[in-house]
Amino acid sequence: MNQETKPTLAARRAFLNKLGLAATCGGAVVGSLAGIPVVAAKTEPVSKGGTLPLKDYDWTKHQWSFGVDATKCIGCLRCVEACKVENNVVRDAHHFRTWVERYVYLEGENSARIDSQQDPVNIAASGSEAEYRFANRYQDAKVEKAFFVPKLCNHCEHPACVQVCPTGATYKTEDGVVLIDHEYCFGCRYCVQACPYGARFFNEEKGVTDKCTWCYHRITKGLQPACVDACPVGARIFGDLKDKQSPISLFIRNNRVQVLKPETGNAPNVYYVGIDKEVR
Amino acid sequence: MPKHIVRIIFLIVAFLVIALIAKSYFTVDSFYQYGHYRGDSVAEIAAQEPVFQTPAYCVACHAERHAQWSANSHKSVICENCHGAAQGHPQNGKLPIPQDKVKLCTLCHEAMPGRPRTQPQIEVAKHSGGQQCTVCHNAHAPKITSAATKVVGSIAAGKQRSESCAGCHGAEGISGNDTWPSLAGQHPAYLARILGAYKSGAQKDVAMTPIAQALSDADVQNLAAYYGSLSCKAAASGSPAGDVAAGRDLAKNCAACHGETGIASNPAWPNLAGQKAGYLANALKAFKAGLRKDPTMAGASRSLSDTDIANLAAYYSAQVCTAATQGGNKR
Repeated sequence: MNQETKPTLAARRAFLNKLGLAATCGGAVVGSLAGIPVVAAKTEPVSKGGTLPLKDYDWTKHQWSFGVDATKCIGCLRCVEACKVENNVVRDAHHFRTWVERYVYLEGENSARIDSQQDPVNIAASGSEAEYRFANRYQDAKVEKAFFVPKLCNHCEHPACVQVCPTGATYKTEDGVVLIDHEYCFGCRYCVQACPYGARFFNEEKGVTDKCTWCYHRITKGLQPACVDACPVGARIFGDLKDKQSPISLFIRNNRVQVLKPETGNAPNVYYVGIDKEVR
Repeated sequence: MPKHIVRIIFLIVAFLVIALIAKSYFTVDSFYQYGHYRGDSVAEIAAQEPVFQTPAYCVACHAERHAQWSANSHKSVICENCHGAAQGHPQNGKLPIPQDKVKLCTLCHEAMPGRPRTQPQIEVAKHSGGQQCTVCHNAHAPKITSAATKVVGSIAAGKQRSESCAGCHGAEGISGNDTWPSLAGQHPAYLARILGAYKSGAQKDVAMTPIAQALSDADVQNLAAYYGSLSCKAAASGSPAGDVAAGRDLAKNCAACHGETGIASNPAWPNLAGQKAGYLANALKAFKAGLRKDPTMAGASRSLSDTDIANLAAYYSAQVCTAATQGGNKR
């Protein structure tokens, strides 16, 4: 057996060597012919200095960022309402680009009770799945501590959702916003799984994933995101980090801010004030 | 090289070439323009039209409302929070005026654990007895002015100065004419506030403006103190045009500030009991028309018909002004 197999193995090795060489040469030819730019990591945008995507707006001059002051939030959910209207999000209790969570610590309990506007009790209080309000369910309880936390897409510096997208349908723009190309999204939902913040949802009607865009169509026209405009108490702060006097620059500079789940390495871009360790 | 190896290599190369052609055929031009995505999609997303137009859009037509709103505590609540997104308005019709105010206002103002203390909050069951918020509060200027400034005038000096007022308001502050108000027993803080408004021009009246402008600040204080000290008891003034019983029902909406029988709980607000019916009706009409400016009364009078106004005036003028209100400044 041994005597016979040796030459066969040598021949196989030689064949594999040639095949490897051929593949390398072929790859090089293919690469040079195609002229595919070498993209270091696809999560990092590569500007080729060509025409920018928008008129009257230079995305290299902005770096958008978002702040949430949970100490101001009153849980009125006008942000959720505004977001649904502005972005034509499905009007039900299961699809939200932004949402608000309520954390309630009752006396004698070690962990928070958490609900959001989509909790059945809160839907019952609003009377409709298309309207949003927090039910006053803890008015007679012995509440030790309670607060509201608005949440939305964190538009991470290293977004896991972009990394897993097989079609290049979701990407990070030069000005710091993570967007979804609904023409290229084919609804595999890897990104929904990958997001550590649950910021993405699947739109069954259109068969695509959807999420917060920081109202990219507004901010590129000089407006604020709809939720920021709608917030009556200034709990949501938005602005340009490249402008040192912008609301968000001042917010980050003047407060001790934190981000959610920094350990995941996504480097989120929504900065929070007034939350505790239970908020993740 | 063995034939079968050449075949395999040929197959691989052929596959790569076909794959390459297919890729260049199926990949749109703008892919890789900025990175591993379709560059055109950025512009497509940005091209979406804003739905919320912001107050800067509303002010173009609703300047007066905008001015009132932006000067008051609801200025952080944008128009579209209550009236809905303004895209397509006015071309596609009117924006709604919210009907269920309690449902809307309590979204922010229902007392609830978790709301910051700085947020004004009410216990819904105890606050209004189920009445619509706008009965007392003007949604565009919700804060009700309840600060009564203390009147520090001299009654004697006021009496002396009041001689020139007696022609219209009566020698003892009881007006002889249905259209001029009685002043006797009115809260001095209210009297001083209104006289001050005539003096400054904030409130205008053909007769009162020149008279008030001739008064010194001390005169205003003295007159307010004097009229407040008088007894408001007066003979019933004729039979007013309105229906007292219907007025009583309507007056429930006014009770929070003006008292059930027209005796105001706060000295900053006027007593209405026993006041001249003609004057009350005129005052309400002036509030409704915006000639007298008060955000709370503007809201309260907006939905009143002329009949409602007559009924209210009849009810209040028929009430007895009790001695309990004498002197004012009790609180």
